[in-house]
Amino acid sequence: MLSRVAAQLYWLSRYLERAENMARILEVGQSLALLSSSDNSRAAPDTVSEPLVITDTLAAFEATGRATRSDQVAQFLAWDTDHPSSIFNCIQSCRENARSVRGAMTVEMWECINDTWLELLARKKKNKQPDHPVDSGFFEWIKQRSHLFRGVTFATIQRDQPYHFIRLGTYLERADNTARILSVKTQVEQAESNDLVDDYYRLGAVLRSVSALEAYRDTYRDAIDADRVSELLIFNARVPRSLHFCIDETTYILNQLPQQTGREARKRCANLLTHLKFGSLREVYESGLDNYLEMFVKENIALAESVQTDYLESIA
Amino acid sequence: MGNHIFNEMSDESGFARPHYETFDQWLKGISRETVQVKQTEADLIFRRTGITFSLNGDEGGTERLIPSDLIPRIIHGKEWAHLEKGLVQRVKAINMFLHDVYHQQNILKAGLIPTEHVLANAQFMPMMLGLDLPHHIYAHIAGVDIVRHSDGDFYVLEDNLRVPSGVSYMLSNRLLMMRLFPDLFRRYAVRPVEHYPALLLQTLRSASWVDQPTVVLHTPGRFNSAYFEHAFLAKQMGIELVEGSDLFVRQGHVYMQTTEGPQQVDVIYRRVDDVYMDPLSFEPDSLIGVPGLASVYRQGNVVISNALGTGVADDKSIYPYVPDMIRFYLDETPILNNVQTWQCRKPDELSYVLAHLSQLVVKEVHGAGGYGMLVGPTASKAEIESFAKRLKAHPDNYIAQPTLSLSACPVFVDQGIAPRHIDLRPFVLMGKDTRIVPGGLTRVALREGSLVVNSSQGGGTKDTWVLEDEELL
Repeated sequence: MLSRVAAQLYWLSRYLERAENMARILEVGQSLALLSSSDNSRAAPDTVSEPLVITDTLAAFEATGRATRSDQVAQFLAWDTDHPSSIFNCIQSCRENARSVRGAMTVEMWECINDTWLELLARKKKNKQPDHPVDSGFFEWIKQRSHLFRGVTFATIQRDQPYHFIRLGTYLERADNTARILSVKTQVEQAESNDLVDDYYRLGAVLRSVSALEAYRDTYRDAIDADRVSELLIFNARVPRSLHFCIDETTYILNQLPQQTGREARKRCANLLTHLKFGSLREVYESGLDNYLEMFVKENIALAESVQTDYLESIA
Repeated sequence: MGNHIFNEMSDESGFARPHYETFDQWLKGISRETVQVKQTEADLIFRRTGITFSLNGDEGGTERLIPSDLIPRIIHGKEWAHLEKGLVQRVKAINMFLHDVYHQQNILKAGLIPTEHVLANAQFMPMMLGLDLPHHIYAHIAGVDIVRHSDGDFYVLEDNLRVPSGVSYMLSNRLLMMRLFPDLFRRYAVRPVEHYPALLLQTLRSASWVDQPTVVLHTPGRFNSAYFEHAFLAKQMGIELVEGSDLFVRQGHVYMQTTEGPQQVDVIYRRVDDVYMDPLSFEPDSLIGVPGLASVYRQGNVVISNALGTGVADDKSIYPYVPDMIRFYLDETPILNNVQTWQCRKPDELSYVLAHLSQLVVKEVHGAGGYGMLVGPTASKAEIESFAKRLKAHPDNYIAQPTLSLSACPVFVDQGIAPRHIDLRPFVLMGKDTRIVPGGLTRVALREGSLVVNSSQGGGTKDTWVLEDEELL
């Protein structure tokens, strides 16, 4: 298939996944903020800016001159049209990419994306007041639209290159997101006291933001603690948003793609997989969790760049 | 020419014409509510499947629906047979003309067309001189605009050989009508059009000497007003929809960049104008072209459809000579009428045009899409005066034609059913054989009294039914 078309499919799913992740982060952030206001001892200002730290957008946010309040952060990350990774812009980019490669997807997939975009526009019209808090129903809706697109894709498109490039975008974006969430959330964790109640809420929030709370319970059947959360989200191969799971999927997808190209991407992916498959929490702590995750994010970015140069770029 | 308007559905006394009788009965039997429900359903289908049209220069990519009217335009079999014969004749002669002007130039030597008309024409491409194309075909696809005048006869308005569009609406209209009114298709033997993409692909493949040629559709990109159609056709034909940046030239061949590496391209069905095709040979600022393409074309290593330089035959200044071409190349009598045309570059014809502006349609020679034209009878005094100034300043740029009273067909309007002017654009495919799917695109001027059917100017479309011959009375 055409490299440009592959690129647009890959990016549309990355943008959609990014929007979903943003919604997850904000949703959890908002419920934590509610918790904090009811109990002053836990009202850490960090919680408010956390979504910005996770998405690497603290400086961009401060440049807007907005007050560091949770509603402002949510407005910025959800609706700000000047912020390239706002949910609004992600959905718009997703739809623009989809529009140019409509022929490469099923009618149902296109309709799903287009309907999402049309309703987002309608919601934006309603959401004129910049101070108005973003209601959590919105985040839930974004998540569901993303779920719906994945489901429609799974159910309607033939298992060919377009499908694989869409999935590839999803997993590369997701791996990046999980690593970032884990990194920021556990940093906060280390800085604070070992309060059991506190752990429960903060780490519970981490798990909920990646839909892994149930998986945690089923796996450990014990109180939530930071080590296990890290272990689950890095190494567990059965949790759909863990690093291991994402790289497993990426490996599988790369093997489905044309083999005469993409050697560099497969090599990088195999390296990452080795670390996740045979690594342990002890190794992680030897280099430090932060360093480990930072390395992962870097390697994952390098992998995405290889995918870009191997498959997606037009030479001319 | 008279003020009488030919109505496709009913005769002078208001009765349904024989081939519309069944439809008329059906129409009388359905309620306005049903029609409204169906119309809403139709809009929804169009919007959801993204059958839209974006206006030129609207960079925001704002999309508009082209309104599709639910009353079919019905053509009976005999009439179509006549049209079909005339179209084949016309496009054949045009292709022979193109081969001639880029080779022997016999028609110029014979003095039938003034030499400067062809050679100094902006659409004439010197690089095409002496280049032999497979089967000597330049225009593989023509979208000929035909209108029916008050005398009941058909006239060819334009030949549209460059990048004629609209065929996707022909196909979607049929799809829509079959979905909304399946019972109508049981009452009428409507000849199918759905195989157009298959015919088009066959035509394109036969245009290359390569054994199993790789065909691509070259689009200017998603901001082009006909982008939906490009994507639609590419998907229907199962070929890649490429943009200029997907293609590159290496060692005398054209390739597209794929996830499996470069792949050779043999036929380019381009929906891009000549001058944007190759920034090295033509418009240097073109970002939608392929550098070096023209040289590969000259070497015969790629087929471009329609051929470069085809536009010279559908230029409005060449149009008046098409009947002469038919007589010259085929030694036949033209089957379809040309519209009488005054060439403003000729002083005596210019003065006639200036004196009769309020009765004429004046068109820019190189214009397209209904831009830059004056429709005398509906123009205000001020509009006529300002147009006259432009005309006097650049008479070479204009031709004039009598205001044809385009035939009318009933359409659904807010108040019920009312007649609106229509034209017809059949799509002629010329490969080893010439093929036309029965019918074409019927365009409707939705504003009352308007004669402008272009979608960029608020026109709509209708499904066009050509009936099987035995359906005739």
